[in-house]
Amino acid sequence: MVSTNILWSKLMRMTAIEENRDTPARRSKLTSLDDALAHVGPGQLVALGGLWFHNNPCAAVRALARRKVRDLRIVAAPPSSYVVDLLIGAGCVAQATVGHVSFEHLGFAPNFRRAAQQGSVRIVDADEATILGGLMATVEHLDSHPVTSVKGTDIGRSAAAPRNDAGVVAPVALRPDVCLLHAQEADIYGNVRNLGTSFCDPLFAKASKRVIVTVDRIIGNSEIRAQPNRTTIPGYLVDAVVEAPFGAHPCSSHGIHVHDELGIGAYIKAGASVDTWRRDYLGPYVDKPESLEEYVQLVGGANWILALSEVVR
Amino acid sequence: MSDFSNDELMTVLLARELRDGDLAVTGASSLVPVAACLLAQRMHAPNLTLITPAGVVNPKPKRLYQSASDGRWVEGAEALGTAYDLFEMSENGRLDVMFYGGVQIDRRGNINLTGTGYDADGHPRFRGPGLANTSFAVVSKRILLFSAAHTRRTFVDNVEFLTAAGHLGGPGEREKLGIMTEGPVLCVTPLVTFEFDKEKCMQVRSIHPGVDPRDVIENTGFVLRDASWPITAVPTSDELSILRRFVDTSGELAG
Repeated sequence: MVSTNILWSKLMRMTAIEENRDTPARRSKLTSLDDALAHVGPGQLVALGGLWFHNNPCAAVRALARRKVRDLRIVAAPPSSYVVDLLIGAGCVAQATVGHVSFEHLGFAPNFRRAAQQGSVRIVDADEATILGGLMATVEHLDSHPVTSVKGTDIGRSAAAPRNDAGVVAPVALRPDVCLLHAQEADIYGNVRNLGTSFCDPLFAKASKRVIVTVDRIIGNSEIRAQPNRTTIPGYLVDAVVEAPFGAHPCSSHGIHVHDELGIGAYIKAGASVDTWRRDYLGPYVDKPESLEEYVQLVGGANWILALSEVVR
Repeated sequence: MSDFSNDELMTVLLARELRDGDLAVTGASSLVPVAACLLAQRMHAPNLTLITPAGVVNPKPKRLYQSASDGRWVEGAEALGTAYDLFEMSENGRLDVMFYGGVQIDRRGNINLTGTGYDADGHPRFRGPGLANTSFAVVSKRILLFSAAHTRRTFVDNVEFLTAAGHLGGPGEREKLGIMTEGPVLCVTPLVTFEFDKEKCMQVRSIHPGVDPRDVIENTGFVLRDASWPITAVPTSDELSILRRFVDTSGELAG
């Protein structure tokens, strides 16, 4: 069953829920998307969570694109999709360390393809072993992390796969300046729940200097405490929580809604050329909506998104 | 016309190659291999473990979902891993079967998903999607290849970019790099099932019913030895009925 308890009146709430207490109040990490992203700037390494077109931090990435941030270096989950392609299409990216970028059975990632073919973005060919190896080097406080299984391929010759003294591929520590994640639930202290797969997100959170999580709904701290085993990223790893209902659209948000095939189809179609991309997607869907609520209305509304599972194959 | 689709045929043929007790991992755009695993579990391999690329262990879906990482695969599964669980297998091995398709697949079973037509600056004329996990081609005990397209553009002499290792340059090349697993053992296409000969070159093991051998030769970009191939055993009514009743209940493969 899809959830229907997302109250639109609570949209973008920015103040902590008051609790009766006589001790000093605990600091809320709930903030707005713009405030959370205020310090993301040129040259920074930005990690992008989710996998393929699922659980992507789409609203966060559209907000970055609206701010016209330039020259980012990005690293994404080994299988990636919308967020990588959109940031490239919006001209925000100088370098992308990626494994797989596509919309799977729905089509190729148009802006990524164009940029790779034209050489307008430096593509560092990576894969799961070299990306996770780099993240693990950071969480283990090592300069690099050998991965013995990268053998015989041209991936093993890419910049993401330097060799150590023993001749083994040993990706250097990846330490993102900021990581953008989308999950389904969190409390105001940054305790996060993924209702489906968390995939790379907890590792990105541990390896990154600053962690920003958008969630479909804010839940109470008492709910978190009632089932602590369901917390996938504990609050001490998280710097900012943003309430962003349907913030993963047109990607899915596991456990809340599935991906929007029509929306993704329109995205891919718009990406056919630079001109159509600007006219048919970047303008109407990224630049124009003044709020996430307006974006959600534009793409069909909350009820449409929640009902997607009935039409998406 | 046959009374099954190409996808159904390929699903059944891959299912027959799976063994009871196998740990099998699937990738993107892999409805056929996923269905093959689910079918094998219901036919002859009840102890087969399937892990999807989102880390879903032994899904038991009400129907097949087009996206390999659709959240609906989660409901009813036995466990939900993370990217780290896939990394563990990437390094430690553990898995028996990995499935790969390719933008290009060469006669040695090497895979290219990265790009074709590279210029002097290293920019491809066609940039492919890339591959999330190349390690499984090294550590998986065996590799089953599949391709929905059987054309000269797909089946080439040599891949232009080696994304995942097949038999590399030929016999002994994997071993030279310390790769001790078997590598690709077959490739299922809508026209034929390929196997690998002693020289680790792809040859036709069997041709699917109703396919003209000339079409196979014309649509394969490398030389095939002779053309007197045995005919592929068609799906049995048992295989098709279990596939349709219990695995592909909404006809995603019926195409």
